[in-house]
Amino acid sequence: MIITILYYLLTGAIAFLMICNFIRSKKWQEEVLYILVLLPFLLRLFRLK
Amino acid sequence: MSASIEIIFAVMVVSYIIAKSLKISTELSMFFAAIAGGLVGGVGIPARHIAEGAFTYLDIILIFFTATFFMNLLKESGGVVYVVRGIIQKFSRKKSILFVLITFLLLLPGALTGAGSVTVLITGGMIAVVLGYMGLSKPKTAAIIFIIAGLSAAAPPVSLWAMLTAAGVNMPYVGFFLPLLIPCVVLSLLTIFILGWRGKPVDLEKALKELPEAPPQMNWIKVILPFLVFFILMLAGRIWPHSLPVIGLPLMFVVAAVVSYFLSPVRLNIFDIARNTVHQLLPLIGTLTCVGILVQIMTLTGVRGLIAITVVTLPITIVFCSLFLVLPVSEAVLMWGAAPVLGVPLVLLFNTIGLNPIVALAGMSVIWPLGDALPPTAIIGRLTKDTVEMEEPYGHMLKHCLIPAILIIIAGTLMVIFSKELGFLTLL
Repeated sequence: MIITILYYLLTGAIAFLMICNFIRSKKWQEEVLYILVLLPFLLRLFRLK
Repeated sequence: MSASIEIIFAVMVVSYIIAKSLKISTELSMFFAAIAGGLVGGVGIPARHIAEGAFTYLDIILIFFTATFFMNLLKESGGVVYVVRGIIQKFSRKKSILFVLITFLLLLPGALTGAGSVTVLITGGMIAVVLGYMGLSKPKTAAIIFIIAGLSAAAPPVSLWAMLTAAGVNMPYVGFFLPLLIPCVVLSLLTIFILGWRGKPVDLEKALKELPEAPPQMNWIKVILPFLVFFILMLAGRIWPHSLPVIGLPLMFVVAAVVSYFLSPVRLNIFDIARNTVHQLLPLIGTLTCVGILVQIMTLTGVRGLIAITVVTLPITIVFCSLFLVLPVSEAVLMWGAAPVLGVPLVLLFNTIGLNPIVALAGMSVIWPLGDALPPTAIIGRLTKDTVEMEEPYGHMLKHCLIPAILIIIAGTLMVIFSKELGFLTLL
Protein backbone atom coordinates (compact mmCIF):
# COMPACT_ATOMS: atom_id res chain seq x y z
CA MET A 1 0.00 0.00 0.00
CA ILE A 2 2.79 2.43 0.96
CA ILE A 3 4.68 1.59 -2.23
CA THR A 4 1.55 2.20 -4.32
CA ILE A 5 1.09 5.61 -2.66
CA LEU A 6 4.74 6.46 -3.31
CA TYR A 7 4.31 5.59 -6.99
CA TYR A 8 1.20 7.80 -7.18
CA LEU A 9 3.22 10.64 -5.62
CA LEU A 10 6.03 10.08 -8.12
CA THR A 11 3.56 10.05 -11.02
CA GLY A 12 1.92 13.23 -9.70
CA ALA A 13 5.30 14.98 -9.31
CA ILE A 14 6.37 14.13 -12.87
CA ALA A 15 2.96 15.22 -14.23
CA PHE A 16 3.30 18.53 -12.35
CA LEU A 17 6.79 19.10 -13.81
CA MET A 18 5.49 18.35 -17.30
CA ILE A 19 2.66 20.85 -16.87
CA CYS A 20 5.19 23.49 -15.70
CA ASN A 21 7.34 22.85 -18.77
CA PHE A 22 4.28 22.78 -21.03
CA ILE A 23 3.23 26.24 -19.83
CA ARG A 24 6.73 27.65 -20.43
CA SER A 25 7.19 26.00 -23.81
CA LYS A 26 7.04 28.23 -26.89
CA LYS A 27 7.36 25.54 -29.60
CA TRP A 28 4.18 23.91 -30.89
CA GLN A 29 5.81 20.52 -31.47
CA GLU A 30 7.05 20.45 -27.91
CA GLU A 31 3.61 21.42 -26.61
CA VAL A 32 1.88 18.63 -28.55
CA LEU A 33 4.46 16.16 -27.30
CA TYR A 34 3.95 17.28 -23.69
CA ILE A 35 0.20 16.69 -24.06
CA LEU A 36 0.76 13.20 -25.46
CA VAL A 37 3.28 12.32 -22.79
CA LEU A 38 1.04 13.70 -20.04
CA LEU A 39 -1.87 11.52 -21.10
CA PRO A 40 -0.89 8.28 -19.31
CA PHE A 41 0.26 10.17 -16.21
CA LEU A 42 -3.07 11.99 -15.82
CA LEU A 43 -5.12 8.87 -16.53
CA ARG A 44 -3.18 7.00 -13.86
CA LEU A 45 -3.44 9.86 -11.36
CA PHE A 46 -7.21 10.14 -11.80
CA ARG A 47 -7.42 6.37 -11.58
CA LEU A 48 -9.12 6.16 -14.97
CA LYS A 49 -6.65 3.47 -15.99
CA MET B 1 -14.81 0.38 -44.73
CA SER B 2 -11.13 -0.50 -44.34
CA ALA B 3 -8.31 -0.91 -46.87
CA SER B 4 -6.13 -4.00 -47.16
CA ILE B 5 -3.34 -4.33 -44.62
CA GLU B 6 -0.62 -3.70 -47.22
CA ILE B 7 -2.28 -0.38 -48.17
CA ILE B 8 -2.63 0.64 -44.51
CA PHE B 9 1.05 -0.11 -43.99
CA ALA B 10 1.99 1.86 -47.12
CA VAL B 11 -0.11 4.84 -45.95
CA MET B 12 1.60 4.75 -42.53
CA VAL B 13 5.05 4.72 -44.15
CA VAL B 14 4.14 7.56 -46.55
CA SER B 15 2.60 9.63 -43.71
CA TYR B 16 5.77 9.19 -41.69
CA ILE B 17 7.95 10.27 -44.63
CA ILE B 18 5.72 13.30 -45.35
CA ALA B 19 5.75 14.36 -41.69
CA LYS B 20 9.54 14.02 -41.53
CA SER B 21 9.98 15.99 -44.75
CA LEU B 22 7.88 18.77 -43.17
CA LYS B 23 10.53 18.96 -40.41
CA ILE B 24 8.24 17.41 -37.83
CA SER B 25 10.07 15.56 -35.04
CA THR B 26 10.44 11.78 -35.25
CA GLU B 27 8.14 11.28 -32.25
CA LEU B 28 5.28 13.30 -33.74
CA SER B 29 5.88 11.76 -37.18
CA MET B 30 5.27 8.35 -35.63
CA PHE B 31 2.11 9.67 -33.99
CA PHE B 32 0.84 11.06 -37.32
CA ALA B 33 1.65 7.74 -39.02
CA ALA B 34 -0.43 5.99 -36.36
CA ILE B 35 -3.37 8.38 -36.85
CA ALA B 36 -3.17 7.96 -40.65
CA GLY B 37 -3.10 4.18 -40.23
CA GLY B 38 -6.19 4.34 -38.01
CA LEU B 39 -8.09 6.51 -40.48
CA VAL B 40 -7.25 4.32 -43.51
CA GLY B 41 -7.81 1.17 -41.47
CA GLY B 42 -11.43 2.20 -40.86
CA VAL B 43 -11.14 2.73 -37.10
CA GLY B 44 -11.08 6.54 -37.26
CA ILE B 45 -9.13 8.18 -34.46
CA PRO B 46 -9.44 5.50 -31.79
CA ALA B 47 -9.11 7.45 -28.52
CA ARG B 48 -9.21 4.30 -26.38
CA HIS B 49 -6.36 2.71 -28.31
CA ILE B 50 -4.31 5.91 -28.27
CA ALA B 51 -4.64 6.03 -24.47
CA GLU B 52 -3.91 2.30 -24.25
CA GLY B 53 -0.80 2.66 -26.45
CA ALA B 54 0.45 5.70 -24.54
CA PHE B 55 0.38 3.57 -21.38
CA THR B 56 2.49 0.74 -22.80
CA TYR B 57 5.85 2.00 -21.55
CA LEU B 58 4.80 4.04 -18.51
CA ASP B 59 6.92 1.88 -16.18
CA ILE B 60 9.98 2.36 -18.40
CA ILE B 61 9.35 6.12 -18.52
CA LEU B 62 9.35 6.19 -14.71
CA ILE B 63 12.71 4.36 -14.64
CA PHE B 64 14.03 6.74 -17.25
CA PHE B 65 13.04 9.85 -15.34
CA THR B 66 14.17 8.73 -11.89
CA ALA B 67 17.53 7.39 -13.13
CA THR B 68 18.33 10.53 -15.10
CA PHE B 69 17.23 12.71 -12.19
CA PHE B 70 19.63 10.81 -9.94
CA MET B 71 22.50 11.22 -12.42
CA ASN B 72 21.71 14.93 -12.85
CA LEU B 73 21.76 15.46 -9.06
CA LEU B 74 25.14 13.78 -8.94
CA LYS B 75 26.42 15.98 -11.74
CA GLU B 76 25.08 19.20 -10.18
CA SER B 77 26.53 18.32 -6.78
CA GLY B 78 29.97 18.14 -8.41
CA GLY B 79 30.30 14.36 -8.00
CA VAL B 80 30.95 13.61 -11.67
CA VAL B 81 33.62 16.27 -12.13
CA TYR B 82 35.23 15.17 -8.85
CA VAL B 83 35.56 11.62 -10.18
CA VAL B 84 36.91 12.74 -13.59
CA ARG B 85 39.50 15.06 -12.01
CA GLY B 86 40.46 12.40 -9.47
CA ILE B 87 41.01 9.79 -12.17
CA ILE B 88 43.16 11.93 -14.45
CA GLN B 89 45.22 13.26 -11.53
CA LYS B 90 46.03 9.71 -10.49
CA PHE B 91 46.39 7.96 -13.84
CA SER B 92 47.37 10.67 -16.36
CA ARG B 93 50.61 8.79 -17.17
CA LYS B 94 49.04 5.29 -17.20
CA LYS B 95 47.10 5.23 -20.45
CA SER B 96 45.70 1.71 -20.15
CA ILE B 97 44.28 2.21 -16.66
CA LEU B 98 42.95 5.63 -17.69
CA PHE B 99 41.16 4.08 -20.69
CA VAL B 100 39.56 1.39 -18.53
CA LEU B 101 38.33 3.97 -16.01
CA ILE B 102 37.08 6.32 -18.75
CA THR B 103 35.15 3.40 -20.26
CA PHE B 104 33.59 2.68 -16.88
CA LEU B 105 32.65 6.37 -16.46
CA LEU B 106 31.04 6.44 -19.90
CA LEU B 107 29.20 3.15 -19.43
CA LEU B 108 27.68 3.90 -16.02
CA PRO B 109 25.12 6.67 -16.76
CA GLY B 110 23.72 4.93 -19.85
CA ALA B 111 23.65 1.53 -18.17
CA LEU B 112 21.64 2.89 -15.24
CA THR B 113 19.26 5.02 -17.30
CA GLY B 114 19.03 3.06 -20.56
CA ALA B 115 19.75 6.17 -22.64
CA GLY B 116 22.95 6.86 -24.52
CA SER B 117 22.09 10.56 -24.59
CA VAL B 118 22.37 10.67 -20.79
CA THR B 119 25.92 9.33 -21.04
CA VAL B 120 26.79 12.01 -23.59
CA LEU B 121 25.24 14.76 -21.46
CA ILE B 122 26.52 13.67 -18.04
CA THR B 123 30.08 12.49 -18.70
CA GLY B 124 30.62 12.94 -22.47
CA GLY B 125 31.73 16.60 -22.34
CA MET B 126 34.25 16.06 -19.56
CA ILE B 127 35.70 12.90 -21.09
CA ALA B 128 36.03 14.78 -24.40
CA VAL B 129 38.27 17.31 -22.63
CA VAL B 130 40.48 14.53 -21.25
CA LEU B 131 40.72 12.74 -24.62
CA GLY B 132 41.43 16.06 -26.34
CA TYR B 133 44.44 16.62 -24.06
CA MET B 134 45.67 13.15 -25.02
CA GLY B 135 46.06 14.48 -28.56
CA LEU B 136 43.04 12.71 -30.06
CA SER B 137 41.22 14.55 -32.84
CA LYS B 138 37.65 15.76 -32.24
CA PRO B 139 36.09 13.28 -34.72
CA LYS B 140 37.96 10.40 -33.06
CA THR B 141 36.91 11.61 -29.59
CA ALA B 142 33.30 11.95 -30.78
CA ALA B 143 33.42 8.43 -32.25
CA ILE B 144 34.69 6.97 -28.95
CA ILE B 145 32.00 8.76 -26.93
CA PHE B 146 29.23 7.90 -29.39
CA ILE B 147 30.06 4.18 -29.64
CA ILE B 148 30.46 3.74 -25.87
CA ALA B 149 27.33 5.81 -25.20
CA GLY B 150 25.41 3.48 -27.51
CA LEU B 151 26.80 0.41 -25.79
CA SER B 152 26.06 1.94 -22.39
CA ALA B 153 22.40 2.19 -23.39
CA ALA B 154 22.41 -1.50 -24.25
CA ALA B 155 24.26 -2.44 -21.04
CA PRO B 156 22.38 -3.74 -17.97
CA PRO B 157 20.54 -3.16 -15.69
CA VAL B 158 18.36 -1.01 -18.00
CA SER B 159 18.49 -1.96 -21.67
CA LEU B 160 15.42 -0.50 -23.35
CA TRP B 161 15.68 -2.56 -26.54
CA ALA B 162 15.77 -5.77 -24.53
CA MET B 163 13.04 -4.56 -22.16
CA LEU B 164 10.67 -3.42 -24.94
CA THR B 165 11.12 -6.60 -26.96
CA ALA B 166 10.84 -8.84 -23.90
CA ALA B 167 7.61 -7.04 -22.95
CA GLY B 168 6.30 -7.61 -26.49
CA VAL B 169 6.80 -11.38 -26.36
CA ASN B 170 5.62 -11.69 -22.74
CA MET B 171 9.09 -12.76 -21.64
CA PRO B 172 10.28 -11.63 -18.18
CA TYR B 173 13.28 -9.29 -18.25
CA VAL B 174 15.39 -11.88 -16.43
CA GLY B 175 18.70 -13.50 -17.37
CA PHE B 176 19.91 -10.57 -19.47
CA PHE B 177 22.60 -9.28 -17.10
CA LEU B 178 25.64 -11.22 -18.31
CA PRO B 179 24.60 -11.58 -21.99
CA LEU B 180 24.39 -7.78 -22.14
CA LEU B 181 27.21 -6.85 -19.76
CA ILE B 182 30.00 -8.95 -21.30
CA PRO B 183 29.71 -7.76 -24.94
CA CYS B 184 29.09 -4.14 -23.90
CA VAL B 185 32.16 -3.98 -21.65
CA VAL B 186 34.44 -5.89 -24.05
CA LEU B 187 33.36 -3.92 -27.12
CA SER B 188 33.64 -0.58 -25.27
CA LEU B 189 37.19 -1.41 -24.19
CA LEU B 190 38.08 -2.51 -27.72
CA THR B 191 36.67 0.76 -29.07
CA ILE B 192 38.63 3.04 -26.77
CA PHE B 193 41.86 1.06 -27.16
CA ILE B 194 41.59 0.88 -30.97
CA LEU B 195 40.64 4.52 -31.50
CA GLY B 196 42.68 5.99 -28.67
CA TRP B 197 45.82 3.88 -28.88
CA ARG B 198 47.89 6.62 -30.47
CA GLY B 199 46.91 9.11 -27.77
CA LYS B 200 49.70 10.66 -25.69
CA PRO B 201 49.66 10.84 -21.88
CA VAL B 202 47.24 13.54 -20.65
CA ASP B 203 48.58 17.09 -20.39
CA LEU B 204 47.49 17.23 -16.75
CA GLU B 205 47.93 20.93 -16.12
CA LYS B 206 45.95 22.05 -19.14
CA ALA B 207 43.22 19.42 -18.67
CA LEU B 208 42.65 20.36 -15.02
CA LYS B 209 42.51 24.03 -15.99
CA GLU B 210 39.74 23.41 -18.52
CA LEU B 211 37.66 21.02 -16.41
CA PRO B 212 35.24 22.65 -13.95
CA GLU B 213 36.34 22.72 -10.30
CA ALA B 214 34.79 20.20 -7.90
CA PRO B 215 33.34 21.60 -4.63
CA PRO B 216 36.05 21.47 -1.91
CA GLN B 217 33.90 19.41 0.47
CA MET B 218 33.24 16.69 -2.11
CA ASN B 219 34.87 13.31 -1.46
CA TRP B 220 34.74 9.71 -2.72
CA ILE B 221 32.33 8.59 0.01
CA LYS B 222 29.79 11.22 -1.05
CA VAL B 223 30.04 9.99 -4.64
CA ILE B 224 30.00 6.27 -3.96
CA LEU B 225 27.39 6.10 -1.18
CA PRO B 226 24.30 6.82 -3.39
CA PHE B 227 25.43 4.08 -5.82
CA LEU B 228 26.07 1.74 -2.92
CA VAL B 229 22.55 2.33 -1.59
CA PHE B 230 21.12 1.68 -5.06
CA PHE B 231 23.04 -1.58 -5.51
CA ILE B 232 22.20 -2.75 -1.98
CA LEU B 233 18.50 -2.18 -2.67
CA MET B 234 18.81 -4.04 -5.98
CA LEU B 235 20.73 -6.97 -4.50
CA ALA B 236 18.60 -7.16 -1.35
CA GLY B 237 15.50 -7.80 -3.43
CA ARG B 238 17.27 -10.71 -5.13
CA ILE B 239 18.86 -12.17 -2.00
CA TRP B 240 15.71 -11.99 0.17
CA PRO B 241 12.89 -12.04 -2.41
CA HIS B 242 10.29 -13.28 0.11
CA SER B 243 11.21 -11.01 3.01
CA LEU B 244 11.43 -7.64 1.26
CA PRO B 245 8.73 -5.81 -0.64
CA VAL B 246 9.29 -5.26 -4.37
CA ILE B 247 9.92 -1.53 -4.59
CA GLY B 248 10.92 -1.44 -8.27
CA LEU B 249 13.75 0.36 -10.06
CA PRO B 250 12.09 3.83 -10.05
CA LEU B 251 11.85 3.96 -6.25
CA MET B 252 15.39 2.58 -5.91
CA PHE B 253 16.63 5.48 -8.04
CA VAL B 254 14.54 7.91 -5.96
CA VAL B 255 16.16 6.62 -2.75
CA ALA B 256 19.63 6.96 -4.36
CA ALA B 257 18.71 10.49 -5.50
CA VAL B 258 17.60 11.43 -1.97
CA VAL B 259 20.92 10.15 -0.55
CA SER B 260 22.81 12.08 -3.24
CA TYR B 261 20.84 15.24 -2.43
CA PHE B 262 21.57 15.09 1.30
CA LEU B 263 25.26 14.34 0.73
CA SER B 264 25.73 17.14 -1.77
CA PRO B 265 28.27 19.72 -0.57
CA VAL B 266 26.51 22.42 -2.60
CA ARG B 267 22.93 23.57 -2.20
CA LEU B 268 20.87 22.02 -5.01
CA ASN B 269 17.72 23.52 -6.50
CA ILE B 270 15.81 20.28 -6.67
CA PHE B 271 12.82 21.74 -8.53
CA ASP B 272 14.96 23.23 -11.30
CA ILE B 273 16.99 20.04 -11.70
CA ALA B 274 13.78 17.95 -11.89
CA ARG B 275 12.19 20.34 -14.39
CA ASN B 276 15.33 20.33 -16.54
CA THR B 277 15.40 16.54 -16.36
CA VAL B 278 11.85 16.37 -17.76
CA HIS B 279 12.83 18.84 -20.50
CA GLN B 280 16.02 16.94 -21.29
CA LEU B 281 14.11 13.66 -21.51
CA LEU B 282 11.11 14.94 -23.51
CA PRO B 283 12.30 13.56 -26.89
CA LEU B 284 13.05 10.19 -25.32
CA ILE B 285 9.87 9.95 -23.22
CA GLY B 286 7.94 11.24 -26.24
CA THR B 287 9.44 8.51 -28.40
CA LEU B 288 8.38 5.83 -25.94
CA THR B 289 4.84 7.21 -25.72
CA CYS B 290 4.45 7.60 -29.50
CA VAL B 291 5.99 4.20 -30.18
CA GLY B 292 3.43 2.70 -27.80
CA ILE B 293 0.62 4.43 -29.70
CA LEU B 294 2.08 3.42 -33.09
CA VAL B 295 2.46 -0.22 -32.10
CA GLN B 296 -1.08 -0.27 -30.65
CA ILE B 297 -2.57 1.10 -33.91
CA MET B 298 -0.39 -1.27 -35.97
CA THR B 299 -1.78 -4.16 -33.92
CA LEU B 300 -5.34 -2.86 -34.23
CA THR B 301 -5.15 -2.55 -38.02
CA GLY B 302 -3.23 -5.80 -38.59
CA VAL B 303 -0.02 -4.12 -39.82
CA ARG B 304 2.01 -5.53 -36.94
CA GLY B 305 0.78 -9.01 -37.81
CA LEU B 306 1.76 -8.46 -41.43
CA ILE B 307 5.31 -7.47 -40.44
CA ALA B 308 5.53 -10.37 -37.99
CA ILE B 309 4.36 -12.95 -40.55
CA THR B 310 6.71 -11.56 -43.20
CA VAL B 311 9.67 -11.70 -40.82
CA VAL B 312 9.00 -15.20 -39.45
CA THR B 313 8.54 -16.69 -42.92
CA LEU B 314 11.88 -15.37 -44.25
CA PRO B 315 14.70 -17.90 -44.75
CA ILE B 316 16.79 -17.85 -41.57
CA THR B 317 20.07 -17.32 -43.46
CA ILE B 318 18.68 -14.12 -44.93
CA VAL B 319 17.61 -12.99 -41.46
CA PHE B 320 21.08 -13.63 -40.01
CA CYS B 321 22.85 -11.96 -42.94
CA SER B 322 20.63 -8.88 -42.91
CA LEU B 323 20.72 -8.17 -39.15
CA PHE B 324 23.72 -5.85 -39.60
CA LEU B 325 21.65 -3.61 -41.88
CA VAL B 326 18.06 -4.06 -40.72
CA LEU B 327 18.65 -3.38 -37.02
CA PRO B 328 20.59 -0.08 -37.31
CA VAL B 329 18.32 1.19 -40.10
CA SER B 330 15.16 0.35 -38.12
CA GLU B 331 16.67 2.16 -35.12
CA ALA B 332 17.47 5.18 -37.31
CA VAL B 333 13.86 5.37 -38.49
CA LEU B 334 11.82 4.28 -35.45
CA MET B 335 14.35 4.66 -32.62
CA TRP B 336 13.16 2.36 -29.81
CA GLY B 337 10.07 1.60 -31.86
CA ALA B 338 12.28 -0.83 -33.76
CA ALA B 339 12.30 -3.16 -30.75
CA PRO B 340 8.54 -3.84 -30.50
CA VAL B 341 7.96 -3.65 -34.26
CA LEU B 342 10.89 -5.75 -35.54
CA GLY B 343 12.46 -7.21 -32.41
CA VAL B 344 9.34 -9.07 -31.30
CA PRO B 345 8.83 -11.14 -34.51
CA LEU B 346 12.59 -11.78 -34.73
CA VAL B 347 12.74 -13.11 -31.17
CA LEU B 348 9.68 -15.27 -31.82
CA LEU B 349 11.39 -16.62 -34.95
CA PHE B 350 14.63 -17.36 -33.09
CA ASN B 351 12.70 -19.06 -30.31
CA THR B 352 10.80 -21.19 -32.84
CA ILE B 353 13.98 -22.50 -34.45
CA GLY B 354 15.45 -23.44 -31.09
CA LEU B 355 17.81 -20.53 -30.43
CA ASN B 356 18.09 -18.99 -26.97
CA PRO B 357 15.78 -15.94 -27.11
CA ILE B 358 17.54 -14.12 -24.25
CA VAL B 359 21.06 -14.31 -25.70
CA ALA B 360 19.76 -13.67 -29.23
CA LEU B 361 17.91 -10.58 -28.02
CA ALA B 362 21.02 -9.42 -26.15
CA GLY B 363 23.00 -9.80 -29.38
CA MET B 364 20.45 -7.70 -31.28
CA SER B 365 20.41 -5.10 -28.48
CA VAL B 366 24.14 -4.57 -28.94
CA ILE B 367 23.70 -3.87 -32.69
CA TRP B 368 20.64 -1.58 -32.44
CA PRO B 369 22.39 1.49 -30.92
CA LEU B 370 24.56 1.85 -34.06
CA GLY B 371 21.47 3.24 -35.78
CA ASP B 372 21.58 6.28 -33.50
CA ALA B 373 24.29 7.73 -35.74
CA LEU B 374 22.27 7.35 -38.94
CA PRO B 375 19.80 9.78 -40.51
CA PRO B 376 16.89 10.64 -40.37
CA THR B 377 17.09 10.75 -36.55
CA ALA B 378 20.79 10.46 -35.61
CA ILE B 379 19.87 12.04 -32.27
CA ILE B 380 22.79 10.70 -30.24
CA GLY B 381 25.25 11.13 -33.11
CA ARG B 382 24.36 14.80 -33.48
CA LEU B 383 24.26 15.30 -29.73
CA THR B 384 27.77 13.83 -29.43
CA LYS B 385 29.07 16.07 -32.22
CA ASP B 386 27.70 19.14 -30.40
CA THR B 387 28.92 18.04 -26.97
CA VAL B 388 32.46 17.44 -28.24
CA GLU B 389 32.27 20.77 -30.13
CA MET B 390 33.41 19.09 -33.32
CA GLU B 391 33.63 21.48 -36.25
CA GLU B 392 34.54 18.90 -38.90
CA PRO B 393 31.73 17.41 -41.04
CA TYR B 394 29.59 14.73 -39.36
CA GLY B 395 30.92 12.11 -41.81
CA HIS B 396 34.39 12.34 -40.20
CA MET B 397 32.98 10.98 -36.97
CA LEU B 398 31.16 8.19 -38.83
CA LYS B 399 34.42 7.21 -40.56
CA HIS B 400 36.09 6.63 -37.18
CA CYS B 401 33.03 4.67 -35.99
CA LEU B 402 33.44 2.15 -38.81
CA ILE B 403 35.91 -0.33 -37.25
CA PRO B 404 34.16 -0.48 -33.84
CA ALA B 405 30.81 -0.76 -35.66
CA ILE B 406 32.04 -3.76 -37.67
CA LEU B 407 33.26 -5.43 -34.47
CA ILE B 408 29.92 -4.75 -32.78
CA ILE B 409 27.98 -6.16 -35.73
CA ILE B 410 30.14 -9.30 -35.84
CA ALA B 411 29.85 -9.82 -32.07
CA GLY B 412 26.07 -9.22 -32.05
CA THR B 413 25.39 -11.47 -35.04
CA LEU B 414 27.55 -14.27 -33.62
CA MET B 415 25.66 -13.97 -30.32
CA VAL B 416 22.41 -14.49 -32.22
CA ILE B 417 23.72 -17.44 -34.28
CA PHE B 418 25.38 -19.17 -31.32
CA SER B 419 22.80 -18.10 -28.73
CA LYS B 420 21.97 -21.70 -27.86
CA GLU B 421 25.61 -22.48 -27.06
CA LEU B 422 25.87 -19.23 -25.06
CA GLY B 423 22.70 -19.99 -23.10
CA PHE B 424 24.74 -20.63 -19.92
CA LEU B 425 25.28 -16.85 -19.66
CA THR B 426 21.66 -16.36 -18.64
CA LEU B 427 22.31 -18.35 -15.41
CA LEU B 428 18.77 -19.75 -15.69
